[in-house]
Amino acid sequence: MRKYILLLLSLLIIASMLTAGTVFAEEPVAEPAQDKTVLNVWSFTNEINTMAIAFEGLNPDVDVVYTMIPMTAGEYQTKLKAALGTADAPDVIALEAAFVKEYVEADFLADLGDLMVYAEEAETYPFVTDVGTHDGVIKAYAYQATPGAVFYRRSLALEYFGTDDPVEVQALMADLDKFVEMAAVVKEKSDGNTYMVGSSGDFQNPFFANREQPWIVDETLIVDPMVEKYIEIAKMFRDEGYEAQAQQWQEGWFAGMNDSLVDAEGNAKQVFSYFLPTWGLPYVLAPNAASADGATDTSGDWGVVTGPLPYQWGGTWLGVMAESPNLELAKEFVRFATLDQENLTNWATGVYTNEYLAAIDPEVPEDQKQAPGDFVSSQVVVENIVDSFDDSDLSAFLAGQNSYAGFAVAAPSVNAKLMTGSDDAIQRALNDPINQYLNGEIDEDALWEAWKDALRIEFPDLIIP
Amino acid sequence: MKSTGIKRNYYGYLFIAPFVIGFLIFGLYPVFNTLALSFTDTTLMVKESNFVGLKNFQRLFADNQFTKAVKNTWLIWILNFIPQIGVAMLISVWFTSARLKIKAVGVWRALFFLPNLLMPAAVAALYFSLFSFYGPVNQFFVRMDILPEAMHFLQDVVITRGLVVFIQWWMWFGQSIIIVMAGMTSIPISLYEAAMVDGATAGQMFRRITMPLLKPILIYIFVTSLVGGMQMFDIPFLLTDQRGSPRGSIMTNNILMYLKFASSKGHIGAASSVGVLVFIMTTIAALGIFYVLRDKDTAKGRKLDRKLFFGKKAAR
Repeated sequence: MRKYILLLLSLLIIASMLTAGTVFAEEPVAEPAQDKTVLNVWSFTNEINTMAIAFEGLNPDVDVVYTMIPMTAGEYQTKLKAALGTADAPDVIALEAAFVKEYVEADFLADLGDLMVYAEEAETYPFVTDVGTHDGVIKAYAYQATPGAVFYRRSLALEYFGTDDPVEVQALMADLDKFVEMAAVVKEKSDGNTYMVGSSGDFQNPFFANREQPWIVDETLIVDPMVEKYIEIAKMFRDEGYEAQAQQWQEGWFAGMNDSLVDAEGNAKQVFSYFLPTWGLPYVLAPNAASADGATDTSGDWGVVTGPLPYQWGGTWLGVMAESPNLELAKEFVRFATLDQENLTNWATGVYTNEYLAAIDPEVPEDQKQAPGDFVSSQVVVENIVDSFDDSDLSAFLAGQNSYAGFAVAAPSVNAKLMTGSDDAIQRALNDPINQYLNGEIDEDALWEAWKDALRIEFPDLIIP
Repeated sequence: MKSTGIKRNYYGYLFIAPFVIGFLIFGLYPVFNTLALSFTDTTLMVKESNFVGLKNFQRLFADNQFTKAVKNTWLIWILNFIPQIGVAMLISVWFTSARLKIKAVGVWRALFFLPNLLMPAAVAALYFSLFSFYGPVNQFFVRMDILPEAMHFLQDVVITRGLVVFIQWWMWFGQSIIIVMAGMTSIPISLYEAAMVDGATAGQMFRRITMPLLKPILIYIFVTSLVGGMQMFDIPFLLTDQRGSPRGSIMTNNILMYLKFASSKGHIGAASSVGVLVFIMTTIAALGIFYVLRDKDTAKGRKLDRKLFFGKKAAR
């Protein structure tokens, strides 16, 4: 008798060990509905879930299982890389501008050439499809186009330059030299209490976007003159006190947006301008325009101009895994999300409210919705809806200026041909050497050496001159 | 009776089967797989891969980054381990002392252990905010006239390293206290009573009774802390820019390995070579600890036993 009990016990232990793994693996994901085709979508924000629910509304026989993995410290990229080529890989993946090229250049995404006709019909901005293309094969499309701009404080412009008119402000910062002159005036007229920018990192993107050559040519590292120029200007901004020394995405940087920036001694400081792209307005600037305690609110005091250099920043592309068992359905989802004119119109004009989504899926979270104002990738849609933003909330935020119209002018001329899969790693390796140089800890030669040393870790085959 | 005795042995195997199976799949196989990968140029983003012999290892020593990571890791570990074991011993002696009779020992112990329960991500975010340019530490120092103006603490090599050392110490000393105290309370109180009767001082009792009898516990703490220290990752990774900045001063072995894995193509072959070298280094260091702290008096008689013991530990 005891023998059997022992046998049973040990078998139970083994059985529980084996099942434990599967039970835990399945728990976090919502149970797929019966009799529906399941489409697995992975992304790094909850944004695309809105489109996923809208897609379910149009395709009642499809269940989109949406998985959000944050990318604060690269979790999304790590998880995605680990899932590549395994049975755990999703059908559709969202790809941020920083790493979309890695995937477009690799073997894992399906050829989405079939969808090109829809892109032509919607007149998707050329740089959007350029980014998704490698060796003539298109593997990813985006619902956004993300030209960059400079947002400035109207009241401060009026005080220091006698005008807050976007056309005149743009003329004042039309090129780099003028931009630097402007920074000097801001400092002088504010007695050093207003900084031109929150951080010199703000204008890194514009400089890098205006390089002549990509970072890597024929497996050799290229340092474009624009990179050297950026470091020169950043050093000048630090030494002259034109920048607040805040770090992008950190407390001080956000505090500048709502006039609650206070230096270590307790003096109030202001920031004159922010380099932000299309999405920066609804997602970054507007939500941070009021301080946490409600004491200050800069809404309505902002204007937007093209700035000294044209650039683009960020954006989310969608790709389909080549080995997806639901290839056609996955393609249809990408078509719907990125190229379907009706969907893009709904997306940009605020049709996808929480009530709209709840009517399709009653279990939708309360904060799931899409506010109007995202700049979409289809030129046809943009031209149709641009006038509707003349008196929107976002225009009120910009004192009546229709930013959508400004972006519509800038978007066709954006060039993303320099973008490669290695950019993000190369640029992130440059940040710490630049900070060390700006702090005066190392000289410029040591900056380049430190950067090249760091690059050897991640690019074993790169020829570093 | 005889036959059931033999069968019972089989039940033993059955009972350890879950662990052995789990260990073979999740413990041993990854070690060998890592070793195999380290001789290839496998990347996650390209499907084909080639055998490249020792090229990955050559590359590690061709630039100064691997040696830098090893130096950083040892430095940070040693600087946090010495105060950690020192404070743990001191507090444990006080807490277990029959003379001091400190009250509410359990409460203190729990308080010291609390930092260990915090998520490393939260701890790193907390210290990042405290020491940021517009953060409270800068405000305090400038307003107290200790600093002339705000500084970038986390872009300073010495301060950032010091912070990592402190956070590691702060998070782990409570753990060491618990283990050291368990060791000390297991020493028979009669030994101390006899020593007191003989007129021994507290120092003498510590050196002659506590230390020798605590040795197995100390070896355990030493080795587990070493293994953990060589794999230090979360705090230095999250405290600055996920690259071990400033100037690579908190880039540990595992951050270097992660950077190779997370690079645009996902060079897992090259990352594995780091893992293999860290494994070898940790094994040698752990064996060194056993050798140095071995029980010299009974060393001869227990040679065979020790061999078995080493074999077991190295496999972990």
